[in-house]
Amino acid sequence: METICVTWILQDGSRKTAAVETGGNLMEAALDNAIDGIVGQCGGSLACATCHVVIEEAPAALPDISPDEDDMLDMAEPERLPGSRLSCQLLAVPELDGIVLRVP
Amino acid sequence: MSTAPVYEIDPKTFWQDPYPDLKRMRAEAPIAYVPQLGATLLTRRDDIFENEKKVEIFSSDQPQGLMTVLMGQNLMRKDGAAPMAERKAIFPSVSPKTVKSVWKAQFEEKTAEALEELRPLGTADMVKDVAKRVSGEALKAITGLTNMSWQEMDRVSQGMIDGCANYAGDPEVEARCHDCTGSIDRHIDGMMPLLREAPDSSMLSVQMQAGLPEEAVRANIKLTISGGQNEPRDVIAGLVWTMLTHPEQLALVRDGKATWLQAFEEYARWISPIGMSPRRVAQRYEAKGVTFEPEDRVFLMFGSGNRDEAVFEDPERFDIARDTSHSIAFGAGPHFCAGAWASRCLIAEVALPMIFERLPGLALAGEVPFGGWAFRGPLEMPVTWDAAGIS
Ligand code: HEM
Ligand code: FES
Repeated sequence: METICVTWILQDGSRKTAAVETGGNLMEAALDNAIDGIVGQCGGSLACATCHVVIEEAPAALPDISPDEDDMLDMAEPERLPGSRLSCQLLAVPELDGIVLRVP
Repeated sequence: MSTAPVYEIDPKTFWQDPYPDLKRMRAEAPIAYVPQLGATLLTRRDDIFENEKKVEIFSSDQPQGLMTVLMGQNLMRKDGAAPMAERKAIFPSVSPKTVKSVWKAQFEEKTAEALEELRPLGTADMVKDVAKRVSGEALKAITGLTNMSWQEMDRVSQGMIDGCANYAGDPEVEARCHDCTGSIDRHIDGMMPLLREAPDSSMLSVQMQAGLPEEAVRANIKLTISGGQNEPRDVIAGLVWTMLTHPEQLALVRDGKATWLQAFEEYARWISPIGMSPRRVAQRYEAKGVTFEPEDRVFLMFGSGNRDEAVFEDPERFDIARDTSHSIAFGAGPHFCAGAWASRCLIAEVALPMIFERLPGLALAGEVPFGGWAFRGPLEMPVTWDAAGIS
């Protein structure tokens, strides 16, 4: 099973890095690694905005923000920032090995 | 039947107040088979949260289920890619953006109308006269069935809910349910030509614009009506009661120390309007030492998970300042409530602030009985306010 390295910067400033299996999304990866502040209420159906992250470092271009994600991001808590994404919409793919996400 | 430990309930007591039994189940048998309900109950928040996502095991697809027979195959009763595509098709009618730019103004107008009409009377039933109407008007707008009265909206919603819970097969209940779905179909027939001419953001119109098969369009409108009337109604009235009986919490909102949105989220956690969502076991599965067999009925007990002492401190206490982000009042998976944003707007931004603003001196004027465990809310709620001082 292929894995990639994902790092979350938590709300208290500390970092947590984990090996994440490719194929799933980064909201699920956060839940698997008990990342505080990522709830993922709607299970990735783009209905809750509780998987909000800010991209700190991306090793490759991320997929574009779809209109639905864009709309939902406007409801994110805390408020949307440049670089904000809903992590259920980001797949763990090999190109993203080394990605760094901040939990806002 | 699953191998879960058996927990017996008295159906009547459980209906009146399920919380003491649910508390015992969480402590003694968090996954329990309840013979009176013919189902295995998941009562802990994290068990529900984890397992609801396993749709290949806990399926909401119930081809023989009452809901499908009575209402058609809607997206709640499907798993996998098909409902995702349908959810995408209805999204434009319930998205946060549409709620803000289209529905909010209509919610305000209709709520103001209702309150202005009642205001001079100085007395009303908060459930029947206010919450039902505000909720029904909102659902008319969102679904696109503006040719229906709010009273009819409430009737057809209740008729379908009763029909879906009619496990005993009472022919009268079934006939009433058919009458209600028939009424919805006639109202859809009436609106379709108009919306073809002048498309709008309603759920009926956006599904037509997306080219969904008519059968699916109709089934999804029925699902939305069965799932979109009671909950806002029960929360509007229930939250008014809660604030009147917890004046210190009301003061927090009035003094700007907390928001109506916090009050809404905490109420939906504390007395979840949808306490349960049913699932069917699709394949043999083991969790926490319990074996589930195919065709077992499983109830996800959202109302219990929301009082799980492992997740919420002092869960029986209504406290609008608490962190409610782990609440599962809107579900916890791929069937997450499509109306969540509309409800937040309707209740926290429109109904509650308007009720407390436009009915000065609002007070309870009698007993307020609550009932239900699958759906829970106040049954009636006599209130008075100061009509004399109003210009
Ligand atoms: C306070 C108000 C409300 C609450 C607490 C609530 C709660 C829920 C819950 C618990 C579910 C089931 C989730 C599951 O099984 O995982 C659900 C589903 C659903 N709700 Fe709501 N609801 C509310 C208002 C509304 C409104 C106003 C509408 C319509 C505009 C609506 C439309 C739906 C639909 C269409 C589904 C099925 C979604 C699917 O299967 O994909 N709800 N809701
Ligand atoms: S998990 Fe709900 S939007 Fe991402």
